[in-house]
Amino acid sequence: MEPATLLPLGVSFDAFASLGFWLGVGVIAGTFTIFALGLQLNVGFTGIFNFGQAGFMAIGAYSMAILVTEEGVNFWLSLPIAIAITMVFGLIVGLPSLRLRTDYLAIATLAASEAIRLTTLNARELTNGSQGIFGFDTEFDDLSESIESLLISVGWSDPETLFPLFMIVWIVALLLTFGLWRLQKTPWGRVLRALREDEDAARALGKNAFAYKLQSLVMASALGAIAGFFLALNLKFVVPDEFLPNFTFIGFAILILGGLANYWGVAVGAIIFQTIFEGLRFLELPITEVQVSALRYILLGLVLIGLMAFRPQGLFGKREEMVLGE
Amino acid sequence: MSSAAALAHGSGASSIAPIFQAEGVVKKFGGINAVNEATMQVADGSITALIGPNGAGKTTFFNVITGFYRADGGTATFEGRRVLGRPPYLIARMGMVRTFQITKALARMSVLDNMLLAAPHQPGESLSGVLLRPGASRRREREVASKAEELLEVFNLTKLTDQYAGTLSGGQRKLLELSRALMAEPRFLLLDEPMAGINPTLGRRLLDHMQRLRSEDGVTFLFIEHDMEVVMNHSDRVVVMAQGTVIADGEPHEIRSDQKVIDAYLGGGSPDDGAESSSAATPRSHGEGGRVTERPR
Ligand SMILES: Nc1ncnc2c1ncn2[C@@H]1O[C@H](COP(=O)(O)OP(=O)(O)OP(=O)(O)O)[C@@H](O)[C@H]1O
Ligand SMILES: [Mg+2]
Repeated sequence: MEPATLLPLGVSFDAFASLGFWLGVGVIAGTFTIFALGLQLNVGFTGIFNFGQAGFMAIGAYSMAILVTEEGVNFWLSLPIAIAITMVFGLIVGLPSLRLRTDYLAIATLAASEAIRLTTLNARELTNGSQGIFGFDTEFDDLSESIESLLISVGWSDPETLFPLFMIVWIVALLLTFGLWRLQKTPWGRVLRALREDEDAARALGKNAFAYKLQSLVMASALGAIAGFFLALNLKFVVPDEFLPNFTFIGFAILILGGLANYWGVAVGAIIFQTIFEGLRFLELPITEVQVSALRYILLGLVLIGLMAFRPQGLFGKREEMVLGE
Repeated sequence: MSSAAALAHGSGASSIAPIFQAEGVVKKFGGINAVNEATMQVADGSITALIGPNGAGKTTFFNVITGFYRADGGTATFEGRRVLGRPPYLIARMGMVRTFQITKALARMSVLDNMLLAAPHQPGESLSGVLLRPGASRRREREVASKAEELLEVFNLTKLTDQYAGTLSGGQRKLLELSRALMAEPRFLLLDEPMAGINPTLGRRLLDHMQRLRSEDGVTFLFIEHDMEVVMNHSDRVVVMAQGTVIADGEPHEIRSDQKVIDAYLGGGSPDDGAESSSAATPRSHGEGGRVTERPR
């Protein structure tokens, strides 16, 4: 028949031509962007190794879901409250651990993240355990529908249902990227970079290193919470399994792809990552579904290794900085 | 005897009030007292040298009085205010600024950013200032930028203004760190071997600049130095440390002829490599003996 089917492996490019595919990729990539902006702030610009970002995302998503479904709080009102709750958690994690050496901090934040996930799994009265929580997004659906009817009124006859979420996640992601990029250029951002370079030098010049690191971590936790909202809205439920440390590791992969210490690279890294990750699903291979998902991680690893070898600064990082950092 | 006289002279006869005083400062590492009951004063507006053999505890003493190490005993005051127990950033903000023996250039920041960072009173360094007082932040930034340019000019770093500090040579880093410390508007500057690795011409310029800062702005200096020519010709007072404690304190000519200092440090004639290694060996064997005799007491 067609030549493609004669080959043992082939790619059906049909999927790449569909808007639905790109919207699906786009929503997740936007979520990852917001998530990894927090990591960029911590790792790329402050030099603190936050391996607990998935935990902060869980606090944000669960707080929102519980506030809406259990406490009857309005969805929109639940968002700032959930962000505040997550920031308090950021503070609680940071206060004892930010005085530790960076490698200990990485372990402490990872442990905190797992503790949070295991709590969501086991505190069943509050979180419904592995069943998860549904039905927190009716107010968002209303907004989504009014955006759809708006789109119809301007001439898009049959808008994709995912389009409003896609639009909102990217507006938020780009605004946050812009805000952080601006903030990095202020004297405040300069102090963060000084801490990344040499904490003792900054302290000797009168900078309260601990206070700045705490601010950095708490801001990152807020970004984690916002990413958590979009994750929940996309899935339409929250379950503990979504908040495995894998999510944080993917965030780090995105940082490396886009380049350390570059906020705009985060979005590009997230889009590339998610395109490859989803695109691999359409590789026609004589293997099972499970093997395909394992293969996705293997290929991702290979891409990262290749990047380390040929472009260690990532797509948008600065080579000079990479060399000087050693 | 002569060193006791020098000590008496140092604390008693000095007519200028001390800007800094340390008494019985102790710092232990395991069983070793790296700083062992060190007592000294620094006269306001003086250029005081801190000398002593390798391992005498000079750098450790700096680390203790600037808050980087927690003291195991003693007191220290700057302008009458307690410093031990305060965190380094507060001590720096009091006006007591130090440099490091092993330079700490902020490698992936430009030379200019290294300088601007050090300037105090920048409202844009707090998030509230960034949001509420962007104008004041920009104004302060312009103010300190011109001061930074002047200082970079003094130390021949102008050409490197926009380069990453990590690309600088060892001597250039030393100069950058010194200019950066000056940006912090210190009233008391503690320099740990500022001349090490700097070429003689720039070294002289550095010394001239210290003199000028002292006479124009009233900055007080305490600097650790191994080059005896510099110490003898450019300091008003010399404090000598050995085995963690202060063994002498006086004017340069008094120190030069102090038998205790000669035994512990200057012995062997010229203070170059050979003399240092021999003098470093001598106090260490004394030190071990000292601890053995101390234990029964
Ligand atoms: N962090 C540390 N941990 C353990 N021991 C230390 C530490 N810092 C210094 N010491 C020890 O304390 C003693 C004093 O060291 P210090 O660096 O203060 O000497 P120094 O007078 O500055 O010497 P130099 O002229 O060589 O710079 C040395 O015996 C050193 O080994
Ligand atoms: Mg030293």
